[in-house]
Amino acid sequence: MKLAKILGSVGVVSAAALALAACGQSGSSNNQGAKDAKKFPDSTPKKATKQGGTVSVALETDTPFTGIFSDELSTSAIDSSVAAPGEESLFDTDDYYRINNKGAATMKLDRKAKTVTITVKKGVKWSDGKQVNAKDLEYPYEILANKKTQAQRYDSTLESIQGMKEYHEGKAKTISGIEMPDGENGRTIVIHYKQMRPGMYFSGNGYFWESAAPYHYLKNIPFNKLQSCDQIRKKPLYFGPFKLDKLVRGQSVTWVPNKYYWRGKPKLNKVVIQVVNPNSASQAIKSHKFDITGVINSQWDQVKNTKGVNWVAQVPLAYSYVGFKMGKWDAKTGKNVMDKNSKVANKSLRQAIGYAMNIDAVNKRYTQGLSFRVNTLIPSGFGAYHDSSIKGYNYNLKKANQLLDKAGYKKKGKWRVQPNGKPLVLHFATMSGSPNAEAITQNYLQQWHKIGLNVKLTGGRLMEFNSFYDKVQHDSKDIDFFQAGWNLASEPSQGSMYGETSPMNYERFVTPENNKLLAEMDSEKSFNTKYRVKVFHQWQKYMYDEAFVIPTSNSYSINAVNNKITGYSTKPSQNNNGHQLWYQVGYAK
Amino acid sequence: MWKTILRRLLIMIPQLIILSLLVFLLAKMMPGDPFSGSINPNTDPKQIEALRRAAGLYDPWYVQYFRWVGNLFHGDLGTSYIQHVPVTSLIADRANNTFWLSLLTTILTYSIAIPLGITAGRHQDQWQDTGVQIFNYITLATPGFVFYILGLWLFGFTLGWFPISGSVSANASGFWGVLGSRLYHMIFPAILYALIATTGTVQYLRTGIVDNKVEDYVRTARSKGVPENVVFHKHILRNSLLPIAAFLGNTITGLLSGSMIIESVFSYPGMGKLFLDSISQRDYTTLTALILIFGILTLIGNLLSDIIMSIIDPRIRIQ
Repeated sequence: MKLAKILGSVGVVSAAALALAACGQSGSSNNQGAKDAKKFPDSTPKKATKQGGTVSVALETDTPFTGIFSDELSTSAIDSSVAAPGEESLFDTDDYYRINNKGAATMKLDRKAKTVTITVKKGVKWSDGKQVNAKDLEYPYEILANKKTQAQRYDSTLESIQGMKEYHEGKAKTISGIEMPDGENGRTIVIHYKQMRPGMYFSGNGYFWESAAPYHYLKNIPFNKLQSCDQIRKKPLYFGPFKLDKLVRGQSVTWVPNKYYWRGKPKLNKVVIQVVNPNSASQAIKSHKFDITGVINSQWDQVKNTKGVNWVAQVPLAYSYVGFKMGKWDAKTGKNVMDKNSKVANKSLRQAIGYAMNIDAVNKRYTQGLSFRVNTLIPSGFGAYHDSSIKGYNYNLKKANQLLDKAGYKKKGKWRVQPNGKPLVLHFATMSGSPNAEAITQNYLQQWHKIGLNVKLTGGRLMEFNSFYDKVQHDSKDIDFFQAGWNLASEPSQGSMYGETSPMNYERFVTPENNKLLAEMDSEKSFNTKYRVKVFHQWQKYMYDEAFVIPTSNSYSINAVNNKITGYSTKPSQNNNGHQLWYQVGYAK
Repeated sequence: MWKTILRRLLIMIPQLIILSLLVFLLAKMMPGDPFSGSINPNTDPKQIEALRRAAGLYDPWYVQYFRWVGNLFHGDLGTSYIQHVPVTSLIADRANNTFWLSLLTTILTYSIAIPLGITAGRHQDQWQDTGVQIFNYITLATPGFVFYILGLWLFGFTLGWFPISGSVSANASGFWGVLGSRLYHMIFPAILYALIATTGTVQYLRTGIVDNKVEDYVRTARSKGVPENVVFHKHILRNSLLPIAAFLGNTITGLLSGSMIIESVFSYPGMGKLFLDSISQRDYTTLTALILIFGILTLIGNLLSDIIMSIIDPRIRIQ
């Protein structure tokens, strides 16, 4: 799921990115996330819709948007929001991101033949009236894999398609594993895989692409010019409900209905999306400048009494976490290597640090209750895969002290020392950015001091985003543990994040048990959902116990929606690859 | 005179070389790179590494530097890592926005500051002077960003008189429509900016007038029976404008560098905003190009100022 991908490293607290985010909603019962989600509705009230009207959407960002209107080449969540009214992906999903056949195309898995067959529906037309065909389904793979396009979104998951790697490396002229049984003008492609994975049933799985590219429109542009050509930067062609009418570079886009849209005529006459400085967001909501505006959570108190809007929220697939540096990335072998002598190698120490953090109080005090504690690494938005039985590291100073005492971290004067008698100083790294970051960090430090741990901030202060990730990614010696955030893809598999060969496993945590569980998630056996769910639960328990990553919080993503608007929803089933189903949004009669 | 200008232009060459080297090295020393923001669960770090290598980010600094300088000589400032368009086109776009905003601001600044300065100087220690001085201290003491945000809140949001962001409305169409919308978007930031940018000019002008009023040549003129109006405009005012003229060169070239603060507050896509963004996003190509341009503009600005001064003030003409 595109939106999820891009936000990842910016962290959960990134305010600007929350604008228009529309790709996740907890729907499962009896767990914390779901209970909290009910604090806000996930959709506008259902009303009869009239034809016509303009909806203006605020896009909160510090920087002008890039405006690369291509799913294959775009690299930012902001661009994705800008393109939302026009860009539709091939598949719709249910509320747990499982692909269904309600979207523009259908998908069929054949485990024996190791193929995925994608057929686009008849009548799905580009906004110039041409039917979306097989070549349009195949072309994105060429754009992604051809090195000349410099597409950031090519990845090794795609290399499980036969012939993909050869094409990427320039050894083959075509991708041998993608077949068009009815020719380029047919509506079907068959993709041949080296191995089938249970994650393929989910949107955002990365094994196949979920967008089409208008080959007839782009075919004359050389791959190295694609990123900057007018067809992608100024006059994009989509098959979604709206087509681009006007673009002011970096500032605003105006969308008008695509008369060939396959689901029928959109309700609105116009959708205007305009950039607003995040600092002005609360004022924009209070003065009703826009019909849809993302709430910056830290400004909630200023806007919460605004009349005439509906608060529509979702719990994004995301979490912030505290991670412990347990080793190093070995670039030569492409593997994470654990270091037994790491200062935080002791499990009890990590657990104690977790128990000492007063997350609930921090959330209550600093986030107006819009953030809430999460206990496990699989968000409740994943339904059954989320293990609600995990208690998490609830605030418990006594337990923290006990753990440390037992593990031999004795107190010598004010601070505890290592079991071998050497002094213990831990360095904690965290990012600046959100208005409360400083206060929250000081609170955590205080808590750790209470249990006798001498924790200092890396570099003595909060770090700017780039410096922070530079240090974390390069396993800087100045960091023993750190706080950051992830936004997740909508396929729950965890191998690409916590695997032995994943550079994003910033903790460098590798154990045979972890490897085994991660492999099981994507195994042949896991095609049985019950089994897969079981493995996910096991993994979550294991991760909880090992505590090398302690998930801390997640936050609502709230939109202020003009209360005359209906048909707006954040439910995954009412969205399409993170995009609002714009054709059904309109004004109430 | 021409010799001086030629000499100054020649000195600019080593200055620019040193500047370019410094700019380049400092930019590279910043932690992170244009790709650090792109790493997340679903982009493959291996692909990002491959792109870094392809972009030459792992070459030794001198290789990167000379490649950059080599391209500069071909008029190629590179392609923006973030916007994925040629930097020249990006900068041209923004410079256009900034130029008109700055021009409007400068016109407004002078048309507010010069009458105020003259009034204050002419009516020294009278109520007019006190009024201007109070205004001046207020604008001097007000930090720009506070003033702009306050203005934005009051006139943009509360009263809704002016647009709150951007350089042109999404709904504007046709030549006049777009022109009108552009002006409408510029006028408010320009007024706010001009209001607090007047301080220096007012003060210099006032002091100049006050000082010149008691000069010997003014007394001589008066004793010759020259009418008071002529004394003021010909003898006092002209001399008092000298300090302002001294800054004129930089004011002219400054039209292109823009203001980071006002452009950020109003999300106005100009050069200052581009500069800030390119720092936070580590857009090396854009960043280095911008600093180089700012550097060149400053050098030219100083040169222009000197030339202007030597034209209007024969005393400082250098041989």
